[in-house]
Amino acid sequence: MSLRRDLEALLLLVRWDLTRMWRRKVFVVMRVVWFAVQVTVFGLALAAMVRFRGAVAQGIDYYHFYLLGVYTSMLFSISVSNAYEVAEEFEEGIIEYHLSLPIKRSVLTVGRSIGGGLAAFFFTLPMYAMVLALMGGGPPLAMAASLGAALVFSVGVVGLVLSVVLSVKSGDATDILFGLIDAIIIRLSTVFYPSVVLARYAPYYYAALANPISHFVDFARTLFFFEEYRALAVADPLLMLSYLLGFAAGLVSAAVYVVERKLEGGGWR
Amino acid sequence: MMEAARAALFFAYRDLLRFWKFKHWLASQIVMNLADVVIFALVFSNIVNRQYIPDYVKFMATGVLAASIFASSFSIGREVGAEIRREVSHYLLALPAPRYALIAGRVLGGTLRGLVYQLAFIALNVVLVGVPNLSQALAIAYTSLLLSAAMSALAIAISTSTRDFNLQATFRALTYYTLFFFSSVFYPKEVLALRFPQPVAEAVVHTPVSLAAEVYRWGFGYSSSVSPTALFEITAWAVALLAVASLLYARNVSGK
Repeated sequence: MSLRRDLEALLLLVRWDLTRMWRRKVFVVMRVVWFAVQVTVFGLALAAMVRFRGAVAQGIDYYHFYLLGVYTSMLFSISVSNAYEVAEEFEEGIIEYHLSLPIKRSVLTVGRSIGGGLAAFFFTLPMYAMVLALMGGGPPLAMAASLGAALVFSVGVVGLVLSVVLSVKSGDATDILFGLIDAIIIRLSTVFYPSVVLARYAPYYYAALANPISHFVDFARTLFFFEEYRALAVADPLLMLSYLLGFAAGLVSAAVYVVERKLEGGGWR
Repeated sequence: MMEAARAALFFAYRDLLRFWKFKHWLASQIVMNLADVVIFALVFSNIVNRQYIPDYVKFMATGVLAASIFASSFSIGREVGAEIRREVSHYLLALPAPRYALIAGRVLGGTLRGLVYQLAFIALNVVLVGVPNLSQALAIAYTSLLLSAAMSALAIAISTSTRDFNLQATFRALTYYTLFFFSSVFYPKEVLALRFPQPVAEAVVHTPVSLAAEVYRWGFGYSSSVSPTALFEITAWAVALLAVASLLYARNVSGK
């Protein structure tokens, strides 16, 4: 009976996040436009000036490499933008309202993580379709696996967002921190350049190896272009998938810990 | 008139003082702009076709000067947006100062912030690219002044167009991408000409951010020449952006 009630509460929370996303149609359209500019202007221009040197990266189409990279950075940024929404909810007292509901804190956190992750995932589906169209399609299995991995990845990022925002409890700190995280983590990943190029700079290379963005983007590239990218990926495909699952489980657990132990006491700054 | 000028200067002074209040935000912005040079450009230089860009780090370092102006000038927009959300704007409107003094003061405050912030990146360019002579230094200073004023006004107009925190951040990012992707900050015009129709590639060269980047590249000695009309075009852009953005801010702050 208790499990059923927990699941019902979980579904309600997921619906809360999805409904909120649905109400933000203008926001979705703007981001899609911005993405279209990114892949058609920035992406094409970058691809025109790239020339891979060295045997490993020969025969790689940089535009395809970039397309999956920029989709990943968009999925990451959209998932991170949950931070601004949670900050706003805190300012408006919605977080306190959620805490007062007859729902377990752990269910509340898992529900918000899955809801936020699903919202980011659905939000970026038009971008995914655009990338797929520009790549000329792909095997159905690769599409299914990459979409599954995208969902796991965004749930993990939302877990990170909840952990951080609900710990710092400040709108300004949230804005600053996530602007920084967004900028640094994407640059220290394999979104724009393969790991073999990063390997020339040891600190950057090891940061990229530990970076969940690198694992997701290289997993997706390996799914679509196995022969070209398997030697360039940060790890074996199964290892990258395991990393993503661990990342999501670990950060959602961290968010549960923050909500259960650290959230109450001390106001929003 | 003198009273209005004094009020405008006071608003600008207040905004400049408040700039130091956000030390962490400043640090994060500096890190972001530096990351473009010391991470993105450094790694990317290994895969750039040297026929188009012989030294991508130097190319980006000068481009980041324009980006740094954008980031710091937009800090005023971020604050003015928060003022509208928290209704501090009502207090500002109730002060005994004409509305145009408020607008001019806020834009001036943003301009000063942009110039102060850019100093660190000017020093970076002197170290990485080269030392400008007197005429080059004057051109750099004039470009920075106008670009900073135009970006501040634009930031204030954009950030006050909505009370939604998330939409404000999205508008900010959309403006950044539009201004910077359609510019020669990340790639030279030769590369744009390879991929886009000639009129588009030609138009990108005349955007304010491209013009500023070209002046900076010439000013620090990365390129040997600059368009003789570049400074005139930057002036025209700045005047137009200042006029439109000031009118928008006046409308947004009074809620009409």
